[in-house]
Amino acid sequence: MIEVRGVSKSFGTMVALDAVSFSLARGEILGFLGPNGAGKSTTMKIVTTFLAPDAGTVTVDGIDVLTEPLAVRGRIGYLPENVPLYLDMNVQEYLTFVGRARGLAGARLKDRLEWCVEACGLVTEYRKPIGELSKGYRQRTGLAQALVHDPDILILDEPTSGLDPLQILGIRELIKSLAGSKTIIFSTHILQEVSPVTDRVVIINEGRIIADGRVGDLRRSAMGSNRVYVGLRGDAAAAAAALRGLDGVASVDTLPGGGNPRFEVRGPFSGDLVAAVETLARDARWQLTELHEAPYSLEDTFIALTRRAHAAAGAPPEVA
Amino acid sequence: MQGTLTIFRREFSAYFNSPIAYIFIIAFLVFNGGMVMNGFFLTGTADLRGFFGMLPFFLILFIPAVSMRLWAEDKRLGTFELLMTLPLRTREVMLGKYLAAYCFYLVALLGTLPLPVMVAQLGNPDGGAMASGYLGAALLGALYLAIGTFTSGLMRDQISAVILGIVACFLVFIVGEQWVAATIDGWLPGAGSFLRRYLGLAEHYESLLRGMITLGDLVYFVGLSGVFLTLNTLWLEGRKY
Repeated sequence: MIEVRGVSKSFGTMVALDAVSFSLARGEILGFLGPNGAGKSTTMKIVTTFLAPDAGTVTVDGIDVLTEPLAVRGRIGYLPENVPLYLDMNVQEYLTFVGRARGLAGARLKDRLEWCVEACGLVTEYRKPIGELSKGYRQRTGLAQALVHDPDILILDEPTSGLDPLQILGIRELIKSLAGSKTIIFSTHILQEVSPVTDRVVIINEGRIIADGRVGDLRRSAMGSNRVYVGLRGDAAAAAAALRGLDGVASVDTLPGGGNPRFEVRGPFSGDLVAAVETLARDARWQLTELHEAPYSLEDTFIALTRRAHAAAGAPPEVA
Repeated sequence: MQGTLTIFRREFSAYFNSPIAYIFIIAFLVFNGGMVMNGFFLTGTADLRGFFGMLPFFLILFIPAVSMRLWAEDKRLGTFELLMTLPLRTREVMLGKYLAAYCFYLVALLGTLPLPVMVAQLGNPDGGAMASGYLGAALLGALYLAIGTFTSGLMRDQISAVILGIVACFLVFIVGEQWVAATIDGWLPGAGSFLRRYLGLAEHYESLLRGMITLGDLVYFVGLSGVFLTLNTLWLEGRKY
């Protein structure tokens, strides 16, 4: 549905994107991740035809963004990072304006407005001037604007930025409810935002794609080893030695803290490390106080991937 | 076409959604009415030459103030990105904006119609000259507005847009003056006369005031407006790269 191939873009001497490639199938939801200034917005601006790439090609539904920008725009609903609102209009006037500009009219326009206002929770604010709306309602109005023509593709740049937790939940639910029927790219610099909505992510840093795949796969490839926390009552040194003796265990670190000894055991993702420790504990008659896998957060993954990208580029790793 | 109409509606109502429209129109009428009355009874002739003669100066200030928001405001609000990702051609959006501002100017100009009515009551004016004077005023506004639309597209900020617009309108006005042309000719023979003839507006506007409507003058106003509007479109499309 969306194909980005080798796209580069510079602003003056600043390289914003460097040979960025990724693709997205119909109906997929993609979380586009990266720190501020990584190139997320620039990529989205190129896909939506607002900017042209210096090099590379982008096609949307098979249509090139450079040769047929109008056809591409018609298929996309776009929420830019700075929500584009006319503050002197009310919600109804604004959505009517965008709907008309996108070629809707008559009963169809009316139906779509009703749907958007309902779906985005704007019923009570429908007649209020946008200038008087709170940040959350402005964001929803922006989202309604992107949905008004029922596009196949949604491109949402930081759709939850500046919202309170409840509002974030609302937007998240809305995106989830659109899953399946629409192809969606949404960007965020907050990693926890992604997992509840999708597991397909592209991570970008300093204008380069540093990871592309399922969240789980990325964790594995980025971190190299699984991690299990073990706590028990008994002799720390003996227990550590026994844990080290387990099949495939790469390292056993004693965790700081008083009381019963606790260990961080690292081993391969394949094979069940937890089960192995359990068997060992039963045989050795340890009394376990703690035994669980400690999945890496997306932050850990992100930091590891960024470090690796730096190392590959020969640059000193940034302190994260 | 439908797209241009949608943009036109939005932009035209944007003028009247805020007090700016009313302030502009009142300022336009008070200033013009006042200045006309100032000299009207002294000269004692039943015509509107004073009004039309002053218009090029006054509009140098007035028109860029009307057009400054056209693009600069969208850039500040972020709606520029919305407009440029709608399935509309840049020139459709541009035309919608330009025509909205132009209609706003025509509304202000219509507000001066009591002047010719008054003149007709007081004397026996040359109706044809007044009509072609109004045509001149409409064409002059179209040209200044094209320049103002262009300068608004260059800027992010309305104040810069209005100042640049005033300077640009002033330049187009001043190169049409005889003494300026003569001075430039002194430096570079032929250049001043060339600019005066093809870029300067004085000659074209004055012949309309005298009641002469020639194809050349119409082509000048419409053509030069078209040039600035095309430049505006090209600039906005070029920003992509």
